[in-house]
Amino acid sequence: RPALRAVIKVALLNHEPTGKPITLEGVFVGGSAGYAEGKLMQYHPLSLCNTSEDERQENDFITIVKLEHRVPRCLPLLDKARMALDKGAQAVIFDVSDDANAAAELRDTDSLPRPVVLVEAEHAEELMGLVNKNEEAKVRIDILVEPPRWPHYDV
Amino acid sequence: TEGPPSCPKGCERCSEYNGCIKCRPKLFIFLERNDIRQIGVCLASCPMGYFGMRNPEGNNRCTQCKIDNCEACFNRNFCTKCKEGLYSHSGRCYVSCPPGQRTANETMEC
Repeated sequence: RPALRAVIKVALLNHEPTGKPITLEGVFVGGSAGYAEGKLMQYHPLSLCNTSEDERQENDFITIVKLEHRVPRCLPLLDKARMALDKGAQAVIFDVSDDANAAAELRDTDSLPRPVVLVEAEHAEELMGLVNKNEEAKVRIDILVEPPRWPHYDV
Repeated sequence: TEGPPSCPKGCERCSEYNGCIKCRPKLFIFLERNDIRQIGVCLASCPMGYFGMRNPEGNNRCTQCKIDNCEACFNRNFCTKCKEGLYSHSGRCYVSCPPGQRTANETMEC
């Protein structure tokens, strides 16, 4: 079954409300395709380990984690995703640009209760760029509906 | 030997978005929350409300005290400084001393 693609709309909270939201794409994993919204919140990869604090946030948030193959893997990614959701995240976004195995590791799983999305390349850079500038942003995730490709008619 | 020049003090391996991802031996990694960002920094001792947890692979980290009403702890279960107005007894914090314990108001201990 082909992985469902995700559309990620990002609205900056400290900017003009008329500003057009940024539209990015990703891939759902873990059988978790669906809608979610919340404030973007970065988690360090080491904060999703067995020894981690239960740093709960108050309002709705969407976790973003920049995965890196150089960071010692304290837990399988599925458990990290589940831990992030248990901490209250409405959804989890994994930037897998620098962790080639991550995508394969998560793609075969099928049991996550809320959306988990993989992003990479320019989509990931846009999101992490906002994080780096500590830009408060509201994120909406949904299933990307591809426009139907009509067969070519000779008229 | 110091880590790469671009890494913060005491850091052996770092990245642009996550800050430090591995500290030099003997130091503790502390995951510092700054609004939406959370980055790793390396400390010789952990901040208030955290204790230093060492591990064999050298990934020592600052871990939150898990004891109610505790401000500083020695390890996960032993508080060394209770919040103001509370009494300390055997590493725990009490509003009033357990039965059979005498109250020492000057040191706020039972």
